Amino acid sequence: MRYEDVNIGDALGPSEMYLSKDQVRTYAKAMGMLAPRFTDDELARKEGLPGMITPGNMSLAILGKLVTDWIGESGARMTRLGVTYRQPVLPDHTIALNGFVTHKNDADRSVEMDIWIESDEAERLVIGTATVQFPA
Amino acid sequence: MAVNYDPAIIGRVFETTDPVVVQAEDIRKFNQTIGDTNPRHNDPEADGGMVAPPSFAVTFRNGRHFFEHVPRFGKAGFDAGKDVEFVAPIRPGDAITLKSHVKEIYEKTGRSGSMVFVVIRSTLTNQNGQVVAHVDHRFMNRP
Repeated sequence: MRYEDVNIGDALGPSEMYLSKDQVRTYAKAMGMLAPRFTDDELARKEGLPGMITPGNMSLAILGKLVTDWIGESGARMTRLGVTYRQPVLPDHTIALNGFVTHKNDADRSVEMDIWIESDEAERLVIGTATVQFPA
Repeated sequence: MAVNYDPAIIGRVFETTDPVVVQAEDIRKFNQTIGDTNPRHNDPEADGGMVAPPSFAVTFRNGRHFFEHVPRFGKAGFDAGKDVEFVAPIRPGDAITLKSHVKEIYEKTGRSGSMVFVVIRSTLTNQNGQVVAHVDHRFMNRP
């Protein structure tokens, strides 16, 4: 894929991902995020949450991977990623990763995109934007 | 709600962490948890050498006293999101240092009332003094 091959409206995903509690616990432990709301349903409920939740950084990383998978072997580079946590991402559910190209900047051969994580009830839990820079 | 704070806190670096040396194994562990099998992110023999996936930049921990420097407005504060600028790749063997400062404080009124956002910027540099990323942490406060 070259910059010239990208069109506004091109889709990233959608790709589905089943997020298991074990996977979230593994991430939280590997990253030293030891707050009980990332590892334990019961303790998370005591904090007023519906159950254990996915760390925001893990959601960010999952959206980052959506973008770098889209980039593939093109030689382009993600230069910016911004995310907003709107609602907790609960493990033990299937999430859908979505995105599409919103802008092309011919001057610097960069591409802007909207990306988001959707719940199995079609709610946008995490929304974001990213910039990808293509080689000259 | 009036947003009162000492403007002198904006821009002043309040924390510099000790350097953390990145091991290839740390990057691979991160990749496994999110299912990233891209050879460039996993294989030291990859063309151009192994690089961490960009979002690895958010895994560096701030110092123990980080939250003492995040001004609070009202009772509840929580992590509303992040904005990350990836300047240069992070590679195995790099020693990464974080420097943090308050970037901005602003008020917003939404459907559910007034909110105050505090943005803390952590700048990551490597052992050559090269900036590799800026990570903006957006904290939301409700009165």
